[in-house]
Amino acid sequence: MSYKSAIVFGFNEYAKQIAFQIAPEYGSFVVFVLSEAEQHAAQEAGFEAELFDLSEDWNVIQERFDTESLIVFCALENDAENVFLTISLRSIFEDLPIIALAGDHESAAKMKSAGANKVMPILQITANVITEILEKPTVTEVLHDILYEQSSLKIAQIAVPEDSFLVGKHIQDIDWGEEYGVLVLAIVDHQLAATFSFTSRGHNHHIDPEDILVVVGYEDNIAALSEAMGVNK
Amino acid sequence: MIGRLIVGIAFYLHASARYRHIKKFFYNLLENPAYPYKKFFDYTMIMLIVISVYILIRHVKYDVSQEWLFFNNYVISLIFLAEYLVRLWVYSDNSKAIIDQYEHDLFLQRPFKVTTVVRHIIVTKSGFILSPAAIIDLLAIMPFFHEMRLLRVFILFRVFKLFRYAKSLTQFVSILASKKFEILTLGVFASVIIAVSSVLIYVMEANNPASPINTLFDAVYWSVVTIFTVGYGDFVPVTTEGRTVAMVIIVAGIAVISFATSIVVSAFTEKLDEIKEDKLIDDVSKIDQFYLICGYGPLAHQVAHRFQINDKKVVILESNKEKVIEAQKEGFLALAYDPASLHSYHALRIDFESQVIAAILLEESDVLNIYTALTIREIAKQVPLLSILLHHENRRKLALAGINEIVYTQELIGLMSKEVSGRPVAFEVIHALRSENSGVFIEEVVLDALMAERFFESAKLPLFHKRLILLGVYKQTGKSFFFNPSNTLAVEAGDVAIVVGTRSLIDEFKALMRKKRKR
Repeated sequence: MSYKSAIVFGFNEYAKQIAFQIAPEYGSFVVFVLSEAEQHAAQEAGFEAELFDLSEDWNVIQERFDTESLIVFCALENDAENVFLTISLRSIFEDLPIIALAGDHESAAKMKSAGANKVMPILQITANVITEILEKPTVTEVLHDILYEQSSLKIAQIAVPEDSFLVGKHIQDIDWGEEYGVLVLAIVDHQLAATFSFTSRGHNHHIDPEDILVVVGYEDNIAALSEAMGVNK
Repeated sequence: MIGRLIVGIAFYLHASARYRHIKKFFYNLLENPAYPYKKFFDYTMIMLIVISVYILIRHVKYDVSQEWLFFNNYVISLIFLAEYLVRLWVYSDNSKAIIDQYEHDLFLQRPFKVTTVVRHIIVTKSGFILSPAAIIDLLAIMPFFHEMRLLRVFILFRVFKLFRYAKSLTQFVSILASKKFEILTLGVFASVIIAVSSVLIYVMEANNPASPINTLFDAVYWSVVTIFTVGYGDFVPVTTEGRTVAMVIIVAGIAVISFATSIVVSAFTEKLDEIKEDKLIDDVSKIDQFYLICGYGPLAHQVAHRFQINDKKVVILESNKEKVIEAQKEGFLALAYDPASLHSYHALRIDFESQVIAAILLEESDVLNIYTALTIREIAKQVPLLSILLHHENRRKLALAGINEIVYTQELIGLMSKEVSGRPVAFEVIHALRSENSGVFIEEVVLDALMAERFFESAKLPLFHKRLILLGVYKQTGKSFFFNPSNTLAVEAGDVAIVVGTRSLIDEFKALMRKKRKR
């Protein structure tokens, strides 16, 4: 799950914020832009910026990056261009993780069919945040702290190793809060590939190797749990 | 001497807060449609009128008990008389008129004359006395003198009084009033035709012994019945000349009727938008609690939609009429008012303190949002304001304008991108919780004293333990969040518990905490 390099396409306000947030996380980080003005702006902001056009055959990516550990963000201003970019990347790189921005639900669906792994519909996300701030202010604050702030409370995903003591147990056999000081929000069943189920749904899930637990807890407790589970550091 | 006494009384009344308060109360009760208790007064009056008319009808053929007659003739009449006098009283401010006159005279160094001011007051008050509504009010009091048999009919004027209390009737009159000129033209046209035809038919028929039309009154009656296309047939012309006149009148009658119909119809079509808007404003003032969205666009649509799903009321203000129509088509309560104008809020009679949960500023420019925020802050200091921020360099300005929550989507997307690339599954889980589409919700439960006391006890019940995730408690004292709390944490009323679970389980949890312990 750890990528070494990342590309952001576009340098509008959204792309800029994405770049600022993720650049420190990756060894190599490049912004690809459509115009020289944007290239200039990106370079001024301290990023490496390259020009591209939509008819590109993407040799430049193959030459510069190890596509095995690359992640890309499609954040062009225009939804149609963004869809086109996504589909042209997908046509060449089958397994490349693509995260795309979409104006609304409609373009989000197109983005998905164009092959994006994850689509972020901007309108819906903003609307959700606005209603959440007003309706559930405390939830908003707590989640914001857990997700984005430098508090010691974290959300983490831990994969269950082959030889872990958890294998074969049921999720409700363990009182996670009491024993490990963490709460398990959801579990991703490896067998049911990439779909997760909430623990509070009440299914007593059978834990298999390579299942992923999504836990919330303090850093120390999460680390302690990972160790107990036999995850190699 | 009398002058000084009058001025003294005027100054006393003008300065008396109690007097002003009482007068204001009666003014609101009688004249202010926005006053919440006015409708009770109106309903009472309508009921009295109905009783009065019922007694009149019943009295035609049957006996009515003395008590009811007394009630009808004296009690109702006295109530109406009192109402009339109070209306006359609140119509204008006498004490102010006297003081103004006094100060005016003083300034010009002239002696204060009682007669001038009395004349002035009479002129002002006669504005009320001579208004059609007031005349009807006065006539409706007349049955008080029921000994005069003819005056009994005045009870019917009480029916006309209904116009005062029923809004739709008032509206009807005001619509017709907008076509005053057309109605007048029609009236003159019809009168001329009736006059001419009456005279003609009288001249042609009155001397003919075979004709039933013998007097001028018969002739007018026949003309009116014919011109308005009723044609009873109790009076018919028998001479050839008379019948010729009849044919002309019948044709003219159709013109009158169609003209009248078209006036009423066009008056209503022209006023339809206004009536609809009045209705919308009425609807808004009846909503207890709502979110006010300023500016309508795709984002506002999404936000309003989300609130609707959560059963929250939303009112949208947007100055662009086309966008308003779009919003109304989507089923939202949208009004074509400029959210950045004070006038809008006064016209809509929005009470920020009691009605608005929060105002959400979603105009497509920071400039407009700041302007709107300042407008709202002018009327409501306390109401929570949330605004989107479009350019981050304006953040400080938005905060200065008194906006409590600022949502900067770009930054949010940046943060989320980091999350989604680093911990995709965790991100998905949180996103699913937030979007509320998965059936599992993250909810905050505000605890009252009883719930706080039974909080841990309830959470440990087998029904909830391990199924309802108790993420933590946010303590109001200290403003800090306690993750995965143990029962050693002192939970108090006002603290907020954050739980994750299915809707039914969360509801059950809340209900159980509130339930009184069985003894």
